[in-house]
Amino acid sequence: MEASLRDELVRLFDTKLSRQMLLNLETCSRCGLCTPACHAYASMPLPKYAPAFRAEVVRRIYKRYFTALGRFAPVLGEAKPLTDAALEELREAAYSCTGCRRCMVYCPFGIDTQQIMSIAKLLLIGAEAAPEILSLLADVSISKGESIETFKEGFLQGIKRLETQVVARWKVEAGTTPIPTEVEGADMLYVALAGAHSIIPAAVVFNAARENWTLSFFEAVNFGAFVGDPGKTQLILDRIVREALRLGVKEVCICECGTAVRVAKQLSGTQPFRVVSLTEVHARYLREGRIRVKKLPGSHTYHDPCQIARNGGVYDEPRAILGRIVEDFREMSPDPKYNWCCGGGGGLVAMGEDTLDFRMRSSRVKADQIRESRADVVVTACENCHTQLENINAHYGLGKEVKFLSSLLADALVAP
Amino acid sequence: MSAMEYAKELDLRNLPCPMPVVKISKGIKEVAVGQIVKAVTTDPGALTDFPAWAKTSGNQIVETQEASGEVRFFIKRLK
Repeated sequence: MEASLRDELVRLFDTKLSRQMLLNLETCSRCGLCTPACHAYASMPLPKYAPAFRAEVVRRIYKRYFTALGRFAPVLGEAKPLTDAALEELREAAYSCTGCRRCMVYCPFGIDTQQIMSIAKLLLIGAEAAPEILSLLADVSISKGESIETFKEGFLQGIKRLETQVVARWKVEAGTTPIPTEVEGADMLYVALAGAHSIIPAAVVFNAARENWTLSFFEAVNFGAFVGDPGKTQLILDRIVREALRLGVKEVCICECGTAVRVAKQLSGTQPFRVVSLTEVHARYLREGRIRVKKLPGSHTYHDPCQIARNGGVYDEPRAILGRIVEDFREMSPDPKYNWCCGGGGGLVAMGEDTLDFRMRSSRVKADQIRESRADVVVTACENCHTQLENINAHYGLGKEVKFLSSLLADALVAP
Repeated sequence: MSAMEYAKELDLRNLPCPMPVVKISKGIKEVAVGQIVKAVTTDPGALTDFPAWAKTSGNQIVETQEASGEVRFFIKRLK
């Protein structure tokens, strides 16, 4: 590695050294409690998948360039220089971690491995060694934000095509647009994904609840967060923030996309609107009696998306919904806080078939958990998790049906 | 509707996010520069995603057809 690149990477590393990060880097006592907490390690017990091992890959570089012992006597201080081989280790560590933070729940010091991996991802970006597809996806999102007027007409045509499918499931009053867009002063801006499955059931439930809503021109998913680029993450989020401010909405509702929910909730800053997940909105409709539902037959279990549950605190709402719409609900884990990650987060699902083999090998414990629930239907509230659960279902021959929570709720609606 | 010639066809219907863009990014590299890929999708968001992807990746959408709830993009590999 050239000295100029190494100097640049050390500079990038330095930008991540907040007080919280220093605590993460300087506190580990190597107790090992995190080791079996990682789904990858639990499925494939190799030392490199232990959270403390992953963190150590970053920590040794920290020691080399940011501690006195590492700078002057690196041999004594367990320090490691930034080299091409070190970059490969960073890549292996960062992209075998889904950022689920299950290890953090077990760590007596609350060391955040996901946050430490954000250093690894930033160094990979600096060395132009980040996964190309994730960088491209982030750039596409940013491009849409810069040229929305160019793309707007096409989007509106696509949305128009869906309206008959929405009305077929829930009739709206004459003169009401089934999928409203560009509604200034709407109460809620709904930010979906590109697919119809992310728009139709949500629109059906909004209309049933007589929500004053409008659909965003942008997709919710934040590929900047997947690739670990703080600048791109903010640019992608800012498109939605600007749209919400322009329309003057009171609430921004993020679709069933875990990373999108976490990023929008945690990085939007102080705004005149609040950010909520679709699951929270649906639970509120039921609580306030704004929609009526029936109970659906069959046994159902719920997979907590890590970014919405462990990283976002939304545990009770999906259970409140399922308690109202299914006859037989079975928990996967006695305490949802310890629910296993599906193994698809952190950008792994978005990297497609390139990561499929690792994703399947590292999700054996999740497959076991689903099998042991003995439920017929696995419900979740995240696009990434849904894709990964479908892959797990096929790979391990579980014979389950995988459904989105919002879709299930739309199926359970009854007329007032 | 014109019968445009293409070197490869990708069925991207009803795929989860972000697979349509992931698969076209991979698929375009499997044809020679100057050749055309036909991509069929049902995503309403594809009508914004694909033009933005073409602009970002330096490829060209030479024709877009809409029929029966599907959108067909004909994309020329430029580099």
